[in-house]
Amino acid sequence: MTSADAAPIDFERMTEQLLKEIERTTKSSDMAARIATNRIKVAVGQTPKEQIWALNKMRLYHYYPQVPPEQRKAVPILLVFALINRPYIFDLRPGNSFVEFLLRHGYEVYLLDWGTPGPEDAHYNFEDFSLKFLPRAVRAMQRHSKKREFTMLGWCIGATIVTIYAAMRPDDGLRNLILLTAPIDFSDKEGSTFSRWLNTEYYNVDELVRQFGNVPSTIIEYGNKMLKPVENYIGTYLKLWDNLDNPAVVEAWLAMNTWVTDNVDFPGAAFRQWVVEFFRENRLMENKLMMEGRIVDLANIKANLLNVIADKDHIVPNCQSRSIMDRVSSKDKKLIELKGGHIGIMVGSGASKRAWPLMEAWLSERSN
Amino acid sequence: MTQPPNGFDPNDPIGTWRAWRDASLDAWAKSLTAMVNTETFSQAIGAQLDALLAVSGPVQQAVQQYMERYLAQAQMPSRSEVVSLASRLTNIEFRLDDMQVQLDELTDLVRQLAAAGAPAPADVSVISDRLSAIEEQLASLANTRPAARTRKATTEDKE
Repeated sequence: MTSADAAPIDFERMTEQLLKEIERTTKSSDMAARIATNRIKVAVGQTPKEQIWALNKMRLYHYYPQVPPEQRKAVPILLVFALINRPYIFDLRPGNSFVEFLLRHGYEVYLLDWGTPGPEDAHYNFEDFSLKFLPRAVRAMQRHSKKREFTMLGWCIGATIVTIYAAMRPDDGLRNLILLTAPIDFSDKEGSTFSRWLNTEYYNVDELVRQFGNVPSTIIEYGNKMLKPVENYIGTYLKLWDNLDNPAVVEAWLAMNTWVTDNVDFPGAAFRQWVVEFFRENRLMENKLMMEGRIVDLANIKANLLNVIADKDHIVPNCQSRSIMDRVSSKDKKLIELKGGHIGIMVGSGASKRAWPLMEAWLSERSN
Repeated sequence: MTQPPNGFDPNDPIGTWRAWRDASLDAWAKSLTAMVNTETFSQAIGAQLDALLAVSGPVQQAVQQYMERYLAQAQMPSRSEVVSLASRLTNIEFRLDDMQVQLDELTDLVRQLAAAGAPAPADVSVISDRLSAIEEQLASLANTRPAARTRKATTEDKE
């Protein structure tokens, strides 16, 4: 910069700026101390609900409707999240809750929580989750709602699980299938960082599962965070520091941080299958994935399909989610690409303005 | 006040520092994200895992052997025995879930028959009552199952 470009030195203004920053820091340090000593609790998953079914660690919840019966949609919706995180991301906090949004639009909302696997659950794989557990939860939902037809929404690995279910049980009443950032097609071995890490002979998945049974959540969390190390280990805390004087931002940050750090172990057999049969061998897309003695054929999917992908998804890049559109038999299918990241499309400030209304508009036409 | 050129304002040292910090972090973020996406880093991830497994394997084995001996002497069940028990409990739960479904179907059928005015409605109501009683027993059995030992805090716990 040349001296001609520089603004003239104004000591009074400079001092004002410094004072302002000192005041902010003083105010913020109280908040920082409260956060550091765990004195601020943020409430997550607050929408009222009842547990209607339980099996092993799994729980099926029904959210209490928020509109009169005559305004309710005829087709209930079941939300299914990944195995490695808590499903309350669907209902993060009041005012930023997809569940709340659906209830206000008249949907009967059910949520499946896979729970935390114990050592006795280490042998469960995707066949168990998709075809042994999920159908039981669906059955419980159908009985409770007294409706045979239903919508199912799967997010992340939850989307893979519901895709397998939809392909193997196309006649069980599934009317609408919504996939959110679904990892399905792993053919592009350089398309994602996870593919690079897991596709090598260096990653000894067999020994990992043999030793630990279930893969510890700390290992999964480390992997997720290392995809963007600066953002996850430094950037997020700087964002908090910069906004410590803004209670609304602090509360939102804490809610998100609560969820991000609240992970569950990956059932061992499922993790091994995820790495070997999905990431390395791409069996689902190549029509080679066998379950219950049959091939999981995506062409069996007949339900109306909405496939939602995020343009900045670094966990499940678009190449893993797009191609299912050409493989299903659904006559009614739609792909939506939204701005945002893997989680941000559904939770960020823009979610209630973009993703949720778009999904609801699609679903509304198919729920009566 | 007009915006200084190039975003640099000598009268706002904090703002200038913050802008420099964000730009630096952005550059670091791009570099490191590119770095973790290389073949070399994949090898490093694998090597980290190998190092972890090389240490944890023998330690786990030693602890397991010691604990099994200790627990046996203390007349207490070992981890593998507890796991085996948990598996059996889970199997019972699955059977219960299946029975519940069959019972639901049967109850529905009985109610449909009753509603359709099938013969011997009195008998049907007796069967229905008995089925309801069994249903209640099953539900209470399912509810009295002890909580999972390894269960982590749930959403409700946090609240």
